[in-house]
Amino acid sequence: MEELKDLSIEEGFKKIEELIEDMSSSDVSLEESFEKYKLGMDLIKQCGEQIDNVEKQIVQLSQDDVAEE
Amino acid sequence: MRDIYTVQRLNNYLKNMFAQDILLRSVLVKGEVSNVTYQRTSGHIYYTIKDESGVLNCMMFANKRPTGLKFTLVEGQNVVCAGTVSHYAQRGEYRLIATQIILDGQGELNERYEKLKQELEEQGLFADIYKKPIPKYAKRIGVVTSPTGAVIQDIRNVAGRRNPYVQIYLYPAIVQGESAASSIVNGIRALDRFGVDVIIIGRGGGSIEDLWAFNEEIVARAIFECNTPIVSAVGHETDYTIADYVSDMRAPTPSAAAEITVFDITEFESRIISLKSQIHKEIVNKLSVKKQQLAKAKLMVDKLNPSYEIDRKKMHLSYCEERLFELLNKKIDVLKMRHMAYKDRMPAIMEKILNSKKQTYALLIEQMKVISPLEKLSRGYAYAEGDDGKALKSVTNVKKDDSVTLYLKDGKLKTKVWDVEFSEGK
Repeated sequence: MEELKDLSIEEGFKKIEELIEDMSSSDVSLEESFEKYKLGMDLIKQCGEQIDNVEKQIVQLSQDDVAEE
Repeated sequence: MRDIYTVQRLNNYLKNMFAQDILLRSVLVKGEVSNVTYQRTSGHIYYTIKDESGVLNCMMFANKRPTGLKFTLVEGQNVVCAGTVSHYAQRGEYRLIATQIILDGQGELNERYEKLKQELEEQGLFADIYKKPIPKYAKRIGVVTSPTGAVIQDIRNVAGRRNPYVQIYLYPAIVQGESAASSIVNGIRALDRFGVDVIIIGRGGGSIEDLWAFNEEIVARAIFECNTPIVSAVGHETDYTIADYVSDMRAPTPSAAAEITVFDITEFESRIISLKSQIHKEIVNKLSVKKQQLAKAKLMVDKLNPSYEIDRKKMHLSYCEERLFELLNKKIDVLKMRHMAYKDRMPAIMEKILNSKKQTYALLIEQMKVISPLEKLSRGYAYAEGDDGKALKSVTNVKKDDSVTLYLKDGKLKTKVWDVEFSEGK
């Protein structure tokens, strides 16, 4: 689980895609599916935070820009 | 008998005698003037000259006056008259018809004058190279002349009219007589030492004796040695004294001397005004030309100015920045959308999985139901259980009066075995 924190948004998305694919395959148990679901939701949350973070930085940068002028 | 002459004949005879006499045709006579009469209409002058012994009637025709008489003839003057003695029949008298009248003693003075003039000229005192320029805008003007004469009055008048700001310093000099020359010399030296911009020396008109001080060598030398430029205005316009030759400039009259030395303040002012406007115009012109040049140069420089390029780059940069921002936002939007999609999809899938599992589960239940013994019970079957709680699979283990529990669909029956029969064929 530790290495998931270091994923980029794109990698996170890729991982989510994989999870979805795994979950969609029929020969996966419910428990496994749920494990993947939990993991996926965690990843989604993480990616959302990452996106928010980037967005915030952008806003901040453009504000700095205004302040400088 | 001796001839008897008529008056006319005798007068004619006398006239001839006078005319033929060589001496009388051109004679110089000296004596003291008296009985001067100026004929108003003709301009002829009638006068007599006399000495202790007698009288001589004289006259000068008006046409001889400009060349023959340089002074005002008045009674008591000692003069030398040059002319012709002729007989005048109408009045029965003879007269000296003068062509020139000079004051007695003038001849000697003239000689001295000419000699000194020649001497000084040879020494270079009159040379142009020594002439100092007369300052155009003198502020302090020294005057060496009689304090009571007309000269200083004339100068003051002209100066007052032309320029009241000019200062006139008068050295009251004696301009006639024994001490005149040294007085004039002192005046020149005093004013030179005192410090003025220009000196006027002068006196009014008079005979050569009257003006003589200005023909003295010491005066000439004082003028020559003076460091201040000197304008001379001695006597009348026709009188030339040695001083006039040595001076840096000769003025025909004292008024003229003042005109030369005193600059006209109004003219000066108007000249200054005109110069001012000229300068102004000039500078304005120059300024506008320079301004134009500057504008041109500025235009050229501006073209080369890196700030143009910088501005362009800045604009480009700002465009890039915007674009970058846009792209980033777009990217973020895309990611957000994807994120949202995942966020929606994941639970959906999970739900789907759950549903599918539930379905499977339901299906299994159904299947289970089909194969369940309970199901069979509903169709009239019962499940039998012995006392030991185990299913009764055979009648062999059951005896009469054993307790058997029968399970039906909706409950159980506690029964007692009434009889045991074996099935045939088994």
